[in-house]
Amino acid sequence: MKCVIGGAQLRVFGRAIHAIARISDEFWFDPIEKGSVLPVFRCVNVLERNVERCSISTNPSDHHITFQLLCRHGVVKTYNLTFQDCDPLQAVFARHMCPNILKVHSRLLADVMIHFPTSQEEITLSVTPMKVCFKSYTEEDTDFSRTMLTEIQLSPEEFDYFQVGVDSEVTFCLKELRGLLVFSEAASVPVSIHFDRCGRPIAFSIEDLLLEASFILATLCEAEKEAATPEPACCPRPWDSSRTGMDKSDQPSMDGARNADTATSKKPQQKGNTPSMISAKPSNALAKQEVKNIPRGSERDVPGRAGAAMAKAAGGKATEAPYEKFHSLFFGAVSYKEKETIGDNFQSLVTASDTEEEFGALQSSQVL
Amino acid sequence: MRFRAKIVDLACLNHFSRIINTIAKLAKTCILRLTVCKLYFILSDKVANGGASMWCELSQGNFFDEFQMEGVAAEHNEIYLELVPENLSRALKTAQNAKAVKIKLTNKHCPCLSVAVELPSLSSSSRIVTHDIPVGVIPRRMWNDFKEPSVPDFDVSIYLPALKTMKSVVERMKNLSNFIVIEANLSGEMNLKIETDLVSVTTHFKDLGNPPWASEDGCESNSQGRDLESMAEACIDIKKLQQLLAGQQVNPTKALCNIVRKRIVHFILLHEEVSLQYFIPAVA
Repeated sequence: MKCVIGGAQLRVFGRAIHAIARISDEFWFDPIEKGSVLPVFRCVNVLERNVERCSISTNPSDHHITFQLLCRHGVVKTYNLTFQDCDPLQAVFARHMCPNILKVHSRLLADVMIHFPTSQEEITLSVTPMKVCFKSYTEEDTDFSRTMLTEIQLSPEEFDYFQVGVDSEVTFCLKELRGLLVFSEAASVPVSIHFDRCGRPIAFSIEDLLLEASFILATLCEAEKEAATPEPACCPRPWDSSRTGMDKSDQPSMDGARNADTATSKKPQQKGNTPSMISAKPSNALAKQEVKNIPRGSERDVPGRAGAAMAKAAGGKATEAPYEKFHSLFFGAVSYKEKETIGDNFQSLVTASDTEEEFGALQSSQVL
Repeated sequence: MRFRAKIVDLACLNHFSRIINTIAKLAKTCILRLTVCKLYFILSDKVANGGASMWCELSQGNFFDEFQMEGVAAEHNEIYLELVPENLSRALKTAQNAKAVKIKLTNKHCPCLSVAVELPSLSSSSRIVTHDIPVGVIPRRMWNDFKEPSVPDFDVSIYLPALKTMKSVVERMKNLSNFIVIEANLSGEMNLKIETDLVSVTTHFKDLGNPPWASEDGCESNSQGRDLESMAEACIDIKKLQQLLAGQQVNPTKALCNIVRKRIVHFILLHEEVSLQYFIPAVA
């Protein structure tokens, strides 16, 4: 899963950010360009000990991105990787609209997830004002005589912040989340969980002095019979303004495939779908998320249904898994001085799909 | 049919977990037999198991603070369940610092052993982790398949060398051959041998000692008159032996094996509160 590995790799990168002295560009890059970026940052411990600086530069005309690790003893490791342009897409999700908000230290979440087998794909989070419960998700056709089910009950007191506006039971992909959990544990920061009823997305966010990250996962909606072909969520590209069309990225990210790994890696057009933007000038770090306003016409119609996916296929695969899967991982380095120009362009990255009209004029940095 | 049990003591819980881990290494699926006083983990010598069989017996009083069971009928006050020990092992793995562990036979979607682990938490109420492990209930008519195996009429009985040493020897031999020959005599000598086209390796152990077995009529063990030097050997699947040795997490109080020449090797590992017998048949 892209986000998972991204998380682990970015954990390294998060640490490396402190050591970055010079970066020539802000950019998006896909942490798992078919595994080509990951090997650059493979050995975390070795990296921490040996690398003094990491310089990242891009050559847009050449479609090359260069990672240079300047290590001790004058050793310089240079990695030249090619990349492909990705098209900007938008995840629409208004965190502040979520009736349910939980905030908890990442340690607790890790302690909870440890009880589930690593092979457990999906997990259900069930909340009432009185209790919180994580349990293994089972499909209707699960063979119960072969499946071990695990359930963990927590009291609301264990959470740093606990707000349950509506009793809900949401099912999402645990595998994708584990990457963020590893990352947040390394950063030792609390995790905020925003969610709503089933079918609507759930967001896991962490925030730190230097960076913020947000995982937005689709949740399974049992009641809905309509199939939805999920729209892969992308982050906007801050510097490539030429491509705002969504021609390539309108492909459904899965054809009933439940495995997000295969889903996102199958379609080459979607490489840009889970970008992690590292903008790391420590002294003058700005979240230059110049979100381009994606022309409405290029999006598919949003019938205002639950789910952060913006598209729905009419008819489509009614019997196949209605499970929308997408994920987006946003990272940004933030400074306290925000330029006005940025502020003007800084549209909310995520707004609820069915309230977009109301929010047209609203400019708020929701993700960050 | 009812069963509920509770462990509160951490040492007992850890000990129990270790036993389950050992069982899980030996059998993918096995039978759990519950009686009023004891628990048994049984693997019968079906072909599917590669012919190896296992009998592990423990007294519930040594582990559980509460233990209540009601069998299928008054005169057959026992319960036989088929389960995957790895599931139980997994459920107990994260219970290292539990306040209590309760095990209950339930029937939700199907018969299950529900393991409820009460963990300490930062708040006033504990965290409860529940694992539902699916089990199969073995009907009464099949109980005869799972009787305690009798000690075979062995040729040699000998104490095993230090299990750690034996394990490392066997592990290295495993890389070279699929089969290993165990031979021993009544003078406390044991050899582990492998032989391939390219190489043959033998490891010799001596001064191991031979356990005294009283024969049924109360006489001295019938080793008198037997050649004390002659070796009894059996060639067995090396993986089975390696699994047995690798699964031992604690040194047993007594470890011995009985060899029936070319037929079967019978291992007995005794701890204070649990006994484990493992039979590995000889290959032709």
